[in-house]
Amino acid sequence: MSYTLQYGQVTPYLGYLAGGAWLALQLAAIAFVIGWAIGLVCASVLEYGPRPLRWLVKAYVIFFLNTPLLVQIFFLYFALPDWGIVLGSYQAVLLGMAINAGAYLTEIQRAGFRSIRKAEVEAAETLGFSRLQIIRYVVLPHIAKVLFPPLSNQYIILTMTTSIAAIFGVEELTGRTYNINAQTFRSFEIFSIAALYYIALTLVASAALYAVGRYFFRIKGRVF
Amino acid sequence: MPHLVIDRLSANYGTAPVLQDVSLSVERGEIVSIIGPSGSGKSTLLRVLTGLLKPHAGVVHVAGTQIDYGSAAALRKVRDRFAVVFQQYNLFQNMTALRNVTIAPTIVKKRDAGEVEREARALLEKVGLSHRIEAYPDELSGGQQQRVAIARALALKPEILLLDEVTSALDPELVAEVLDTIRVLAAEGMTMLIVSHEMGFVREISSKVVFMADGKVVEVGPPSQIFDAPQTERCADFVRRILRH
Repeated sequence: MSYTLQYGQVTPYLGYLAGGAWLALQLAAIAFVIGWAIGLVCASVLEYGPRPLRWLVKAYVIFFLNTPLLVQIFFLYFALPDWGIVLGSYQAVLLGMAINAGAYLTEIQRAGFRSIRKAEVEAAETLGFSRLQIIRYVVLPHIAKVLFPPLSNQYIILTMTTSIAAIFGVEELTGRTYNINAQTFRSFEIFSIAALYYIALTLVASAALYAVGRYFFRIKGRVF
Repeated sequence: MPHLVIDRLSANYGTAPVLQDVSLSVERGEIVSIIGPSGSGKSTLLRVLTGLLKPHAGVVHVAGTQIDYGSAAALRKVRDRFAVVFQQYNLFQNMTALRNVTIAPTIVKKRDAGEVEREARALLEKVGLSHRIEAYPDELSGGQQQRVAIARALALKPEILLLDEVTSALDPELVAEVLDTIRVLAAEGMTMLIVSHEMGFVREISSKVVFMADGKVVEVGPPSQIFDAPQTERCADFVRRILRH
């Protein structure tokens, strides 16, 4: 081991890296929100939709859960232009992540729908609740509570997945780390700092999600 | 005039008949218990009365007024005449004990929140849970949950309380606390229809016992008749098997 750590050489880049972290956060958050919406619609279709639509959604979920995200984004980025659809690298990555997350979030949210307790709904019926009141006071709070932990996990996973964007030249956290490495060759220093940034991103998110879960859904868990 | 009159009530699950020509009358303040083997239609009868299952034929009168099970709007009016307590409590898991009791009067009856809360606290005290009003269902024992469920049912000031095997899911040592609560209500003159397997309790509390089998009422009589001198072979058989334990 003759390598001497020289963190001093990379400190000027901390701000530049923070910008990358910010971009990673954006990618994860936007992909999550779009994926969540896709998942909500698709899960509703799977549970309550007409058969042909169910097959379509099923095909979507099977396809995207069983092919690598990286290949999906390559497809969007390199193959779609053949049909005249040209996506920028940021757009291709964001779209790929959102569609991919959508497939996972479909399955997760379907499980949420499945978990509705019929008995509680009947109790509400016998107490004279209207349909809308049953959805608002019984069904939705229950689904939200059941779904909160897996949705949180999915968000954390998406944060890590944003590093794929570097392959397409998007200068998020990994991309910028790679750039600095190419300029300074302080690989150990800069990649270890990048790791700390990722940990910070997920830790802050975990702590925030934990607080939300505890306050709104009485979910007693631990961040670590 | 009887408080509740059930006249030739029939109901089907799909095409299978589960209630056939059930007739029964209950006086005000009377406690009627329904016993019978599983699948005999006891719980189904309660489900029909509360509107969870649409009757196929027959009529129900409460205090002389016929209940209309036809439309959803008419059905909502039925809801505060009958209140039901379920075997599995079916409390709203996302609400505290207090909220479980206050929610229906507040959102269904649109009553004043402060007044509803005062009543709910009194009800929870009556079932012996004034110290647990902020607890969530998953923090309560089965017996405590069932007592919250009773308070919730009473919050709408129902005329008739329907109890559907309310102690069947409880550990033996928790059964007594729930039965005690029901005894208090009985002493206050609440009209009750009780489906139960607690034969000792049924015998003690009921003025009339209904024996059902295969969706039909087979025999009706005072507890002394049903348990000691049943008139039908079917009922005698059931009682003999049950009381042997």
